[in-house]
Amino acid sequence: MSEPGRTTPAGTAPPTRPGPGPYRGPNGTEFILRAHDVYKTYRMGRVDVPVLKGASIEVKAGEWIAVLGASGCGKSTLLHLMGDLDQPDPGKGEIYFEEKPVNQQSRSERNFYRNRTVGFVFQFYHLLPELNVMENTFIPALVGLTRFSYYARRSEIHRRAQELLTSFGLGDRLKHRPQELSGGERQRVAIARALMNQPRVLLADEPTGNLDENTGGEILELLAEQHRAGLTIVMVTHDRSIADRADRVVELHHGRVVDPA
Amino acid sequence: MYHVVLTNRYLTSRVIPLIAVGAVALCAALVMIVVSVMSGFLDMVRDSGRTLMGDVVIELPTRGIPYYEDLIERIEALDEARAASPMVDSFGLLRMPYPPGDSKQSEFVQFWAVEPESFARVTGFAETVHWRELDDRERRTVPEWDIRRQLTPRVLRDGLALHDSRTDRPGIVLGMHVAETNQRMPEGGYHPMGDGYWWMPGFDVTLVTIPLRDVGGQIEPESFIFPVVNEFVSGVFQIDDVRVKIPLEIGQRMLHMDEAELVDPDDPFRVIGVDPARVTKILIRAEDGISPDELRDRVTVLYDAWVEEYAARDDLLVLPSARGFGLNIRTWEQVQARFIGPVEKERDLMRILFSIVYVVCAALVLTIFWAIVHEKTRDIGILRSVGCSRIGISLIFLRYGLVIGVLGSVVGLILAFLIVRNVNTIHDAIGRDAPVWSWVTAFGFAAVSLLMTILAVKRERMLPIVLWSLGTIGMLGLGLILVLHRGTLVWDPTVYYFDAIPNTLDVPNAIVTMIGAIVFSVLGAFIPAAKAADTDPVEALRYE
Ligand SMILES: Nc1ncnc2c1ncn2[C@@H]1O[C@H](COP(=O)(O)OP(=O)(O)O)[C@@H](O)[C@H]1O
Ligand SMILES: [Mg+2]
Repeated sequence: MSEPGRTTPAGTAPPTRPGPGPYRGPNGTEFILRAHDVYKTYRMGRVDVPVLKGASIEVKAGEWIAVLGASGCGKSTLLHLMGDLDQPDPGKGEIYFEEKPVNQQSRSERNFYRNRTVGFVFQFYHLLPELNVMENTFIPALVGLTRFSYYARRSEIHRRAQELLTSFGLGDRLKHRPQELSGGERQRVAIARALMNQPRVLLADEPTGNLDENTGGEILELLAEQHRAGLTIVMVTHDRSIADRADRVVELHHGRVVDPA
Repeated sequence: MYHVVLTNRYLTSRVIPLIAVGAVALCAALVMIVVSVMSGFLDMVRDSGRTLMGDVVIELPTRGIPYYEDLIERIEALDEARAASPMVDSFGLLRMPYPPGDSKQSEFVQFWAVEPESFARVTGFAETVHWRELDDRERRTVPEWDIRRQLTPRVLRDGLALHDSRTDRPGIVLGMHVAETNQRMPEGGYHPMGDGYWWMPGFDVTLVTIPLRDVGGQIEPESFIFPVVNEFVSGVFQIDDVRVKIPLEIGQRMLHMDEAELVDPDDPFRVIGVDPARVTKILIRAEDGISPDELRDRVTVLYDAWVEEYAARDDLLVLPSARGFGLNIRTWEQVQARFIGPVEKERDLMRILFSIVYVVCAALVLTIFWAIVHEKTRDIGILRSVGCSRIGISLIFLRYGLVIGVLGSVVGLILAFLIVRNVNTIHDAIGRDAPVWSWVTAFGFAAVSLLMTILAVKRERMLPIVLWSLGTIGMLGLGLILVLHRGTLVWDPTVYYFDAIPNTLDVPNAIVTMIGAIVFSVLGAFIPAAKAADTDPVEALRYE
């Protein structure tokens, strides 16, 4: 079962985290990921509903940025575009990762982008109900592996998943099914899954939206820890107090991003 | 690799795939069973032909073939022929020893008068003779009541020789179903009525027939009293029901086909010649590796040459040529054609009808997979979000279809094997009244279900209420059916030609069916797999 068209051999080492000091990507940019003037329109029956109307956002490497906006203003949409789960309206805007336009890559490059470059965390956790905690965590590492390459790297993959889960306090839950976990625990598994392939950017869509304040705080603390270790995080939320945990807060208003600073 | 993990997990943690496997298994088993029984049936017709009459038959009814010994000698000299045997056949009435009292019953019979030794070389007669001493292995499996436990080797010897050695008289061997007193037992084997009293070997019967050739004088029925020396089971009901075997000379005498002096019509004391003995059929067996058709063609040529030679020698003798009127040289397949033809057609029809089952199978897999994909939309979104390709996603479901097809066809094969193997037992069970334990058990289950229904009503859970009450009704119904069931013979031997249902699985057909089931399962998975590939991840992930 090999993933067709994979250009980078599976298991190449992830790029090293930038050390202290300003990040300088290719072309001397300081932005690792940015959306430039993107439009997104949904069709509801016969009417076009414009959601994003020229939104631009620049994410610096190593920063934790929060996108604040009212419910239904298009935060998730923006995040999906940045993670290449969805595309902007044709010809209207572009997503750049290290100044490479994401949408103009080949299919397999884009699958690779979703698999290795970014990691998603959703409000509703979105774990696979039939898989246990371990399997849910390492499933992104299996993508692109053949049966043989899997067996060659099996112990490495299992060790990584186990380390992640243990450091998230789930060491004794490895064989449990998602249904047997609390909301906070599920979200930790989801974060572990997002981090499994050591992504460059973590995209978090209201990661605490479904959790009570205490549990939500724990999750945010966990994200903060990862951030301190050098992870770039883009988080969207409608809650200012949560947004304030980030380095920088931008607001999404009427389909455009405004930087209040 | 994630396909493997997911396929395995999807298969092992849900009920739907079990239903799919069950559906595929039932479809496959159905096709295998039906075609196996039909093919087995066909094979039985074929085999019986050979067992009963050898490979090729020369027939000249009524008139008969004279100088047949010479013809047989020449046939046996052929490289293609292994043996040939003369016989005369006709119809008659057989006066049976039963019932007790003076008015005895008569059975309509077809008699074959044969030369036992050569007849056994040409046909499978020796194997069909039923009453014989059991060997040690059989002794262990055969039920206590079986008469064969008490027999001496003489019974078989007499049967094969058509001769009663105790009274030194010509004997008769009856088809097993000629005597109404023989009962086929559910355990297999035969047991005569009256707890063995009406065992035919040991009684005399009288055969009455009308001579075929009447050389002068009035037609008078001829009769002969035979001791029954044995009975045979060919497995073909229509044969076992009417056919009896007697020695050739007796048959020829009764039909006036034996050697006779020809006298001057004006002076009965003046012998003017000899009318040679005749036979109505010559049965020929092919040498190994020679097809019946080859042998028939050789025999046809030989026969024509032989007829010409005799015609030149004796102008009184008028014999039809191989293509002449009344004379037939046919293979057993041609003789059996009126049986084989319809059965072959029936089987082909069944094949076509049951091909629809494959389509049903594919439709089942399709709908079940459609439901699975629908249910798994969110999972697909998740997988897409972690970088799985569309092809990879559809492969999960194709793989899933493949596994279900393979599992289903294997289960189907086992099911079909078990059913086909035990088809006669099952049939016998249907043929009898249901045993008490069966309906007692059914009513027991009904009572338990009723109890569970009441409990479910108390807990106010709708699904259990529905399921348990359905169970109650189903079990009650089953119990009632079992109580009211009166044995019905589905496979009536008088209609279906054979006295048992073929019970071997047609292996090549089973393999074809399995491959078909797998292919159609994968085909059925194709559309849902394509649907899965087209799933929009954002849409799939929008809601919880
Ligand atoms: N597939 C879709 N079809 C139609 N409308 C959509 C679709 N996805 C999102 N929308 C609409 O776009 C708007 C923004 O949605 P979303 O990005 O989910 O908002 P947020 O995440 O900020 O709550 C909402 O009004 C939503 O109803
Ligand atoms: Mg949202």
